[in-house]
Amino acid sequence: MKHNSLILIGVAATLLAACGEQPQTITAKPGQSAAKADDKPFGAGTQYADRASWERQLRARADNQNEYKRVN
Amino acid sequence: MARMKFICDAERCIECNGCVTACKNEHDVPWGVNRRRVVTLNDGIVGAERSISVACMHCSDAPCQAVCPVNCFYKTEDGVVLHDKDLCIGCGYCFYACPFGAPQFPQAGAFGLRGKMDKCTFCAGGPEKDGSKAEIEKYGRNRLSEGKLPACAEMCSTKALLAGDGDVLSDIYRERVMRRGRGGDLWGHATAYGRADSKPAGAALPTAPAAAQPAAQKS
Repeated sequence: MKHNSLILIGVAATLLAACGEQPQTITAKPGQSAAKADDKPFGAGTQYADRASWERQLRARADNQNEYKRVN
Repeated sequence: MARMKFICDAERCIECNGCVTACKNEHDVPWGVNRRRVVTLNDGIVGAERSISVACMHCSDAPCQAVCPVNCFYKTEDGVVLHDKDLCIGCGYCFYACPFGAPQFPQAGAFGLRGKMDKCTFCAGGPEKDGSKAEIEKYGRNRLSEGKLPACAEMCSTKALLAGDGDVLSDIYRERVMRRGRGGDLWGHATAYGRADSKPAGAALPTAPAAAQPAAQKS
């Protein structure tokens, strides 16, 4: 009896082995990114209310790399 | 809309490796992975030695994006080329496609096991919530969302390495070249962003040289 149940468990485990597998198919289409959507650095919940204010900040920061403007 | 670019002024780079250190420190990049590195040409030849800081240039027509079999790359609205590490299978195709050798692969496992690709993110993180623990662990800090430019460029002591909107960088570089009167060539710029009078890099492949004509046999 015990022997039969062990065999039954073994057979069930073999038959159901694939049920726990995660799908590994890539759903990406050619020429289209499959990456997750990325947050925008501006808008609700960020430091910058809109794109214009964020770009203004970055532009000012990039402009600071010009030492001719800073020193002279 | 901004178009983020890197430019490295070979006339100014003093090979201090400050950019490399800044990047390593900012993103806690693991041992063996170098998102940025300094390359020196004509080393030791007086007057001809030039150094350039190289990393992902966030190309206009990124070859890495074109060859990725799982399409894990994406480009932000500001031209920053990023990738999703959850999708990357570490195949290494991007490494072979990249003209700058930017993609890096951690080899921490046994038998030279290659991990997921890691590269410069223009300090823009990746496709996780901005500033989240997951983003910092996978991609490093997201300085762009904080209104800051990449750490490497902001740390550059001689301002050889510039980062930011292409228009602003062009103005800075133009003024610099006009004042010093030389050094108008930017290494890698045409490869990454294309020439002004042509299509973006990669769009037009160079034609194969004409086959050499066999020399006429002398009798």
